[in-house]
Amino acid sequence: MNDGQIPTSEKSKVGHSSLKRLDDWRIRLRTSEGMQKSRMLIFGRHFNDGWLFKLAIYIILSAAALLYLNPVVYMLTTSLKHGTDLVNPMIQWIPSKLEWSNYASAIIGLHYWKSLIQTGWISIAASLLQMGSCAIAGYGFARMRIPGKSVFFFIVLLTFLIPPQTLSIPLYVLYSKLGWLNTPLPLLVPGLFAQGLKGAIFIIIFRQFFATLPKELEESARMDGAGPLKTFWRIMLPLARPALLIVFLFSFVWHWNDYYEPALYLKNGDFTLLAQSMQFLQGNLNSAAATGSSMGGSYFSLNESITMAAAFLIIAPPLIVYMFAQRYFVEGIERTGIVE
Amino acid sequence: MSRMNMGTLMTKEDHARHRRMQSLKDALRGYLFLLPWMIGIVMFVAYPLIYSFFISFHKVGVKIDGSGLKYDFVGMTNYKHAFVVDNVFPIEMFLFMREVILVVPITVIFALLISIMLNQKFKGRMLYRAVFFLPVIFASGQVLLELFNQGQGSLPLVERYNLTDVIYDVLPLTAAGTVVDLLSKFVIILWFSGVQIILFLAAFQTISKTIYEAAQIDGATPWESFWKITFPAISPFIILNLIYTLVEQSSNPFNPIIRHILENTTDANTGYGYASALGWIYFAFIMLPILALVFIARRQSKKTEATR
Repeated sequence: MNDGQIPTSEKSKVGHSSLKRLDDWRIRLRTSEGMQKSRMLIFGRHFNDGWLFKLAIYIILSAAALLYLNPVVYMLTTSLKHGTDLVNPMIQWIPSKLEWSNYASAIIGLHYWKSLIQTGWISIAASLLQMGSCAIAGYGFARMRIPGKSVFFFIVLLTFLIPPQTLSIPLYVLYSKLGWLNTPLPLLVPGLFAQGLKGAIFIIIFRQFFATLPKELEESARMDGAGPLKTFWRIMLPLARPALLIVFLFSFVWHWNDYYEPALYLKNGDFTLLAQSMQFLQGNLNSAAATGSSMGGSYFSLNESITMAAAFLIIAPPLIVYMFAQRYFVEGIERTGIVE
Repeated sequence: MSRMNMGTLMTKEDHARHRRMQSLKDALRGYLFLLPWMIGIVMFVAYPLIYSFFISFHKVGVKIDGSGLKYDFVGMTNYKHAFVVDNVFPIEMFLFMREVILVVPITVIFALLISIMLNQKFKGRMLYRAVFFLPVIFASGQVLLELFNQGQGSLPLVERYNLTDVIYDVLPLTAAGTVVDLLSKFVIILWFSGVQIILFLAAFQTISKTIYEAAQIDGATPWESFWKITFPAISPFIILNLIYTLVEQSSNPFNPIIRHILENTTDANTGYGYASALGWIYFAFIMLPILALVFIARRQSKKTEATR
């Protein structure tokens, strides 16, 4: 810091005299043709197509992106740190040695493979059911002449606003009466009936999408003698592929990450989903340590690294899905025409 | 052609009956498509709503012989209890509302700014879009909580420059508490803006390019054309995003009220009845700002129709 102080004050003195000369130059330059051209390049004709503007965008967006990714990077690097690296103040980002055993512990602690399969099939099944039922409802809302349709659609909008927590107590009582607790049914059956996790949004997406398709499609199908179900199944549904994909992806990710409902309905632990399995990490590792050693009641020291490894293992599958389907996520809503 | 034939062959009454039959058929077909949704609404929304409304006026207990639940009517007691006896709920409700008033606009303004920038043409914007949408993928309750517990929700800058102390020096105690609380999970607040960014981006695509070109020819600066063209066109989406953010905030894992409600469910003294009453009060408090927003949106759309 101190070395820099003296030169800067000197520089400002020098700068003062040269500044005047620069001013002359500037006046001469402004009138020249070359300057006009480079001005155009830097500031752009309409301000928002110049270099300066683009540079500003890059800087701001990169800063925001860094802010965004900081916790993710933290998660990744911490998950590979050894216990001594965690307490070492010199080591902030890069671990001294990659500690893969954190992942091994996390896999044991989460009962990872078992949970992965269970979470996977429930998420896929629930989102497929939701996708299908919401497509049917959305088609009905978009294309059918139904008395009282606007009232029903208003109800759809209303269901979006009701916090799921308001409904959870009665549903808990209902499911316990039906004997569905600690089975995957509470997560699957609402999806079958176009409800479930954010079902209202999906109905709206499908309605908006089907509304954009030309009317002639159904008319010509009817001329050919196809009933409404056949028209829907053979003509409209194949056309709705982009909407189906976007709904499936969103539904899958939301089901994967949801932990409120599993925490409520799947309490006794023989059916554990990944999103809720974080809280059992300590207990599972303790019991694993106890069975491993001859002495009972062993305590496994859980550190941040293992927790972060577990967190990464939980989000890894949707992350992989996102990597492949990224552009459908990002462009999907534009394509389905939900905004029009 | 066919209509003419029908007209000559059918009497007026036949015609009307035929039409009625046709519309009945249409309606039945329509209801066929809505049937699954209707069953779902009755089973998973209407019934729980009515039931929870019913038990919010009752004290729910287990029958002495243990065969099921018994309901004792207690009137408004549960609702009164929430504000008079419960010393946690009103405070948490107040804190939640105060936080929402700050968090919701921050999220939407951030989403708007980012989406305006992402809407510009530059190289690698798809990459940036992917980054800003990433949190939707893993903003799951427990992973989020764990990151938050390890202090990763805050801005890196806050720790480095000890901003917390500065804030406590500058602001009065209560305001400082809120601001520090916000800063401590600022990144996570921003993380909840993925869907909103996408909605804004989609909204921008609905504005035709020719309007901007015309404005430019008339000598409008980008600043002017943003406020005169873009902003009016996307203002319905601003309201939509405000509502979406509000709904999302009201059911996110940081919400202490939900925890409080769930704790009361298993509490022997209060139980289901009281928890349901809390749920309804909570619902009412969330509906208040939403209704206000819907009202604004309606007035706005009427105004634009009038000017057209």
